[in-house]
Amino acid sequence: MAEQDLRNLLKQLHQSLGSHNYTQSTSLLSRAKIALLKLNALIPSPQTSQPHLRLAREALELGALTSIHLKDPESFTRYFQQLQPFYSLPEDVLPREGGNASKITGLYLLLLLSMGDYAGFHTLLESLEVAAAQAREHGRGGKGLEDDVFIQYPIRLEQALMEGAYDKVWGETTSERVPSEEFGVFSEVLINTIRSEIASCSERAYSSVPIANCKNLLFLDSEGAVVQFARQRDWIAKDGRIYFPQHNQDLMGSEKDILVTSDKVIENTLGYARELETIV
Amino acid sequence: MADTMEGVVSTTQEQPEVQNDDTKTVDDILSNFGLLERAVAEFDARFTLRALRSISSLRKRLSPTVLCQAIASTYPPNSPTARTLCQATGVDDATLQTLLSQAEQKAREDKHNSRDPKEVVPEIDIYIGILIQVYLYDNKHHQTGAEFSSRLVDRIRELNRRTLDSLAAKAYFYFALFHEALDPKPPSRQSPVTSIRGKLLAALRSSVLRKDQDTQAAVLTLLLRNYISTADITQADLLVAQTQFPSTAPNNQVARYLYYLGRIRAVQLSYTEAQAHLTSATRKAPSSAVAAGFYQSSTKFLVVVELLMGDIPDRAVFSQPRLERALEPYFRLVQAVRVGDLHAFQQVVQTHSKSFHQDGTYTLILRLRQNVIKTGIRMLSLSYSRISLRDICIRLGLDTEESAEYIVAKAIRDGVIEATIDSEKGYMETKKAGDVYATREPAEAFHERIRACLTIHDECVKAMRYPMNQHRLELKNAQEARERERELAKEIQDGDIDEDDAAGDFEGL
Repeated sequence: MAEQDLRNLLKQLHQSLGSHNYTQSTSLLSRAKIALLKLNALIPSPQTSQPHLRLAREALELGALTSIHLKDPESFTRYFQQLQPFYSLPEDVLPREGGNASKITGLYLLLLLSMGDYAGFHTLLESLEVAAAQAREHGRGGKGLEDDVFIQYPIRLEQALMEGAYDKVWGETTSERVPSEEFGVFSEVLINTIRSEIASCSERAYSSVPIANCKNLLFLDSEGAVVQFARQRDWIAKDGRIYFPQHNQDLMGSEKDILVTSDKVIENTLGYARELETIV
Repeated sequence: MADTMEGVVSTTQEQPEVQNDDTKTVDDILSNFGLLERAVAEFDARFTLRALRSISSLRKRLSPTVLCQAIASTYPPNSPTARTLCQATGVDDATLQTLLSQAEQKAREDKHNSRDPKEVVPEIDIYIGILIQVYLYDNKHHQTGAEFSSRLVDRIRELNRRTLDSLAAKAYFYFALFHEALDPKPPSRQSPVTSIRGKLLAALRSSVLRKDQDTQAAVLTLLLRNYISTADITQADLLVAQTQFPSTAPNNQVARYLYYLGRIRAVQLSYTEAQAHLTSATRKAPSSAVAAGFYQSSTKFLVVVELLMGDIPDRAVFSQPRLERALEPYFRLVQAVRVGDLHAFQQVVQTHSKSFHQDGTYTLILRLRQNVIKTGIRMLSLSYSRISLRDICIRLGLDTEESAEYIVAKAIRDGVIEATIDSEKGYMETKKAGDVYATREPAEAFHERIRACLTIHDECVKAMRYPMNQHRLELKNAQEARERERELAKEIQDGDIDEDDAAGDFEGL
């Protein structure tokens, strides 16, 4: 009874997702979750039958995708955590086929990346790597981490970000290289991140840059936008060039440095004296 | 990950056939029981530790017959404990029967000598249990071992005796080791290691409540190992955050704990912390040949973490005889990173990817790519006062000139190099390097070293052991000396002794 309800609900959910009617999806999702609870399948237990597990996984995955579209990272994280027990079930209890495990995981990686949580990103990556190595050893699931577009996308982005190859990040987010439409949601966040990164790098690296070059550097559309951006960051736009106000700051820094250092030196020396006293 | 626990190199078994040898082994085991009884009577864990230490020398000589003989001659005939223990060794019924009857006969003779059969302390039960665990593990009876170990640790929990603590730690160690050896092996999610987590956590809780620091330390490291073996870094991190490692733990456990902590921190990108932990782990690693595996493994991680921090490990690390062969791939890696050669780096990663996977360092090594680029840029900035972005691009093997510009800009921002970029003419110009000795860097390095020395001093002071009641002995000596002095003074007064003699005596004091 509940199972049939659930199947219908899922069908409707697919439709609402297809027509981008996300408010409807949310209400459908809560009904689907109640149905899952009635089937006792929201959390996998050894007694749960395979069709139920499949349905539960599908419902949760749809929920995760909906929250991505609604730009609701908390709810997406929740769905991701709920899906974990399903993904870690052995192959013969719940086959990986038919699920979107790598897509959801890839999205979660991207979310971590866009939030700047590199520790979380690498922790998850570590476990994926180990799982992939395991699968390779057993000769099943032949698809390694290297061939998985959904996982490779955030990995490539992270590498480019860490290296500082921001033009690569830009290329990945704008072109058709985004593996699916859900991944596109993060592009905006990522572009903002790299733009502010580039800005902070430029402040240190250049003394001045022509506005035209700056436009290319920051991936902005027009020179007007550059001037506006410059004003936000307190840069000086003069004679068609952008001047970065950093040199006088450096000088101030070094003077302050001496004051801080002398404090530190006195403190250390006193510390040594005290230790010597206790030892001798 | 290696199949054996780091620090344990499984020994090849030689079956001693000579009867004489067997009797000697039985005697050795029986003499250890004496130590255990003393430990219980005097409540001093040192005797237990001594008994445990002798396991390594006994281990090669163990066999079911030896174990059963030892059991039969310790327990009163028909004791249920003795029977269960004997069965666990896997000895066949006929041999068991003869052994038991022999022991019975002996016991009867003993009675003739009017010696009462003593009550057997539970410490001896557990000690024999550990010997059986060792025997089963060395002979690869993993399934039997796992079942037996589960029963053994359950019994230890029921007993709850403080004199059992160091024995319990050992028992839990083998308990975890057996489960790791069962199929499917970790890092599979269905590995039996996941099923023993509950038991280990329960053991951790009760050991904390009972202030049983030996077991606490052992179980904590086992849990960390357990989590890391299935790549559950988050859980391991949470466990570390919620628990406290006992400060009085034995050195080997501290080394293990630091090693796992270092690995967790490395995955989480806290390289400074990871380096500190791994350095201490390698320094605390036992120097005996049995623990070479642990030393190698921790040094591997240390090398990778140092590379990630932008440091180049010392050349001497790789020429140590214990490390030379095991660390060969890492040596090649360091060479590639040191010169900043991206192609060579990728080649090393590809050729040695299998051993990196096995060591669990693969993902960490993949992160090194950016360091290679950074080192490359640093080398270029050191050797050229001005270089075009195009040349940088070619030399570092980057894809586009644009990438090169961004990468150089980032290197400048991160403080890797001191330079400026001229974006119109497309070159990077190195700023004149400042005098290092004008900065506070030397002072900081100096401070760092002094602090390390002071910590070593403090640790040495804390590690010193003072025998109980020794000061009373000294007091007594002083008392006697004073009395002698008084006597001497009296005698001088009486004029019985020559002045010269007395002076000599005084010096002697």
